[in-house]
Amino acid sequence: MYYFGKNMRKILYIIIESIIFFCGILSIIFVILIFGFLFKESFVFLKNYNIVKFLFGRFWYPTLETALFGILPFICGSVLVSVGACIIAVPIGIMTALFISEVASKNIRNILKSLIELMAAIPSIVIGFIGMATIVPIVKNVFSIPTGLTAFTGSLMLAFMAIPTIVTISEDAIHSVPWQYREGALALGATKWQMMKIVILKIAMPGIMGAIMLGIGRVVGETMAVIMITGNAAHIPTSIFDPVRTLTATIATEMGETVKGGIHYKSLFAIGFVLFIITFIVNFIADIFLKKNKNL
Amino acid sequence: MVNNKIEVKNFNCYYNHDHILKSLNINIIQNEILTIIGPANSGKTTFLKALNRMNDLNITYSYKGEIFLDKNSIFSMNMEKLRQRIGILFAIPLPLPMSIYENIVYAPKCLKIVNKKQDQDILVERSLKNAFLWNEVKDRLNLSAMKISGGQQQRLCIARTLAMNPEVILFDEPCSGLDHISTEKIETLMTELKYKYTILLVTNNVKQASRVGDKTAFFLNGELIEINQTDKFFISPKNKQTENYITGRYIIS
Amino acid sequence: MIKLNSKFSQKIPFFFLYAATILTIIPVITIIFVIIKNGLSAINWEFLTSMPRDGMRAGGIFPAILGTFFIILLTIIFVFPIGICAAIYLNEYAKNNLLTRVINLAIINLAGIPSVVYGLFGLGVFVIFFKLGVSVVSGALTLSIMELPVVITTTRSALNSVPYSFREASLSLGISRWLTIRHIVLPNAVPGILTGSILSIARISGETAPVLFTASALYVSYLPHSMFDQVMILPYHLYVISTQVPNVRKDMIYATAFVLLILVLGISCIAIVARIYFKRRKKW
Repeated sequence: MYYFGKNMRKILYIIIESIIFFCGILSIIFVILIFGFLFKESFVFLKNYNIVKFLFGRFWYPTLETALFGILPFICGSVLVSVGACIIAVPIGIMTALFISEVASKNIRNILKSLIELMAAIPSIVIGFIGMATIVPIVKNVFSIPTGLTAFTGSLMLAFMAIPTIVTISEDAIHSVPWQYREGALALGATKWQMMKIVILKIAMPGIMGAIMLGIGRVVGETMAVIMITGNAAHIPTSIFDPVRTLTATIATEMGETVKGGIHYKSLFAIGFVLFIITFIVNFIADIFLKKNKNL
Repeated sequence: MVNNKIEVKNFNCYYNHDHILKSLNINIIQNEILTIIGPANSGKTTFLKALNRMNDLNITYSYKGEIFLDKNSIFSMNMEKLRQRIGILFAIPLPLPMSIYENIVYAPKCLKIVNKKQDQDILVERSLKNAFLWNEVKDRLNLSAMKISGGQQQRLCIARTLAMNPEVILFDEPCSGLDHISTEKIETLMTELKYKYTILLVTNNVKQASRVGDKTAFFLNGELIEINQTDKFFISPKNKQTENYITGRYIIS
Repeated sequence: MIKLNSKFSQKIPFFFLYAATILTIIPVITIIFVIIKNGLSAINWEFLTSMPRDGMRAGGIFPAILGTFFIILLTIIFVFPIGICAAIYLNEYAKNNLLTRVINLAIINLAGIPSVVYGLFGLGVFVIFFKLGVSVVSGALTLSIMELPVVITTTRSALNSVPYSFREASLSLGISRWLTIRHIVLPNAVPGILTGSILSIARISGETAPVLFTASALYVSYLPHSMFDQVMILPYHLYVISTQVPNVRKDMIYATAFVLLILVLGISCIAIVARIYFKRRKKW
């Protein structure tokens, strides 16, 4: 054991370090695989179907004799639901982050942070179910519309899912503003609110923007909750109280019914590819903002 | 017989494009204490860390020239082997987050030099005694090293280095954060250690250099201005800048 | 006068801050409360340990619980070793060069891909291309890739929080980089890695979309006995009985949601408590 132990150990260490390196670059391999795979399937689809008709077609009839694969309704649905969710989640999220970071005492702060962590952990399916069981009937009655399964209801639930992301990351950004800035502003006679509004929000702005972008990313990619509460109607919505269907919901609901390898199946991969591109851009922007915040 | 332990030949080094050390030539003689003094940013610490290649951890670092340890180039040596032969003490004591006992046996255990519990016990006792720390901590060897005083931590770090049985020990301002009693203990310790090891001491404290050094060198802006036997160095410095510095008239130009 | 004014004008924004926080908190508590109130009555030993009957309108959810555990276990086995190694590479070995920047970009990208797209990928690659079928292993592989960026990021920040001086001390003694990581960095990063890992397990257990087409089945009449079996899983089961099967008793749906919620929140709570515990015991 002792005689060859030393060399064996050296070889072992080299093997370990090679494994570590390989795992390090594995992420790149996965991204390339995912991209390549989605691209391949979408490419086959787009060879058979015009890309303009795909992106801007108003009708989605994948099972007709002359099938139509226009995803404009889903893009509109996704945008509508996401914008709605942001309008609700962004102000609430940023104000909550300000409260946690600047107003709350240390104990309250810890409790709130843990609670928000739990909030982020609630599975989307549970949120979808609760939305369906409680919010949907309320929306239906309050606005006296034929169905409570609307874009508005979806926005409400998605806002709830985006808030933890927005709060956690903006809170980090706000908290990392150096204390000298606060003292400086207060020493100049600013009230606490003026200090927050003028100094902290301004300095933490890149971080907050990053948080919002990540929140949008989460909302756009959310699937299960929107399937259950937005009504899944494949038409271009005219108001926020219309039932809509999102890009993600289309993939999730129709994949089960397709013929593997058929054109309908491929069209869903093309939708996946569109989603991939959208979220890549959103997260890339988020990362630029967050890096700016780090260089503070 | 004077034996050159370390020979530095025309050594230059850089951080990014800043030229930190400029054509250094120094011989370090076995079993002597060489103290290096000089103002801040004169390259003393960089020089020390160049000797056991701790500078290499910084990716912006680059060097030119040669350094020999016992006639062998340190740059063609295995880096781990080199650091085992040339130990270093930092300005801030850096104990590892484990017990006093584990701190000392950590490196020998990692390298499988000592395996048996008995040998470890002997090693710990010997190292701590050599570092003048044994009497203070012998009853609480399992106490976390983070919980003893700064002076004790620094001596623990010395003991930890001694446990590896190096040939050269580099001290980078080892007393900068310590009170005068701890400083005195470490100074006495260094003068004891030179009989077994070759020692380099970087210090900001001119008096300390005069107390412990066999030889003293003065660095300024990355250049070696003067090196001499300590008594001659302080009584009759040859260089005007050296004289200004040791008499406290140094002015940053 | 001026003082009064600014004091008063300060009250309004602060009121909004309070209101926003309450608006954030109330729904969480409401959701948990509603589910407990409606679901608790249907929870009993039989519900937890028996097979579904009458087209899932009666009986229990045992196969779904088992399937969820099965998938979580397999995902843990796949993702943690890879994620932790990747984090070690990025934090300890990687230099600031093009490769590292590309890896970071890849991680950001992976983290942002919608879960349903992972589902598509898993379907195309694991289920069809590698012919693993709709099975536990396909689902676990899909979840692993999805969870990889999360594991890497949390592990990395845990490694990063170990002071640099510890590494310096160890390296200066002539200990190699790997042994320094093995004996100094990793042991001190364990608390952070552990809490991060537990939180990501909570996330995995609630995911539906990635396993929708890769692992889960509407109904399986037997318990899974190998990792190449289709399984029922809790989140999908909840989806099925709340939308696909008519006339399921309300309390049964709530009870299923209750079990899922307790599972996820329970795991998260363990992580939070562990974090508090480790913080108190911190050695440095």
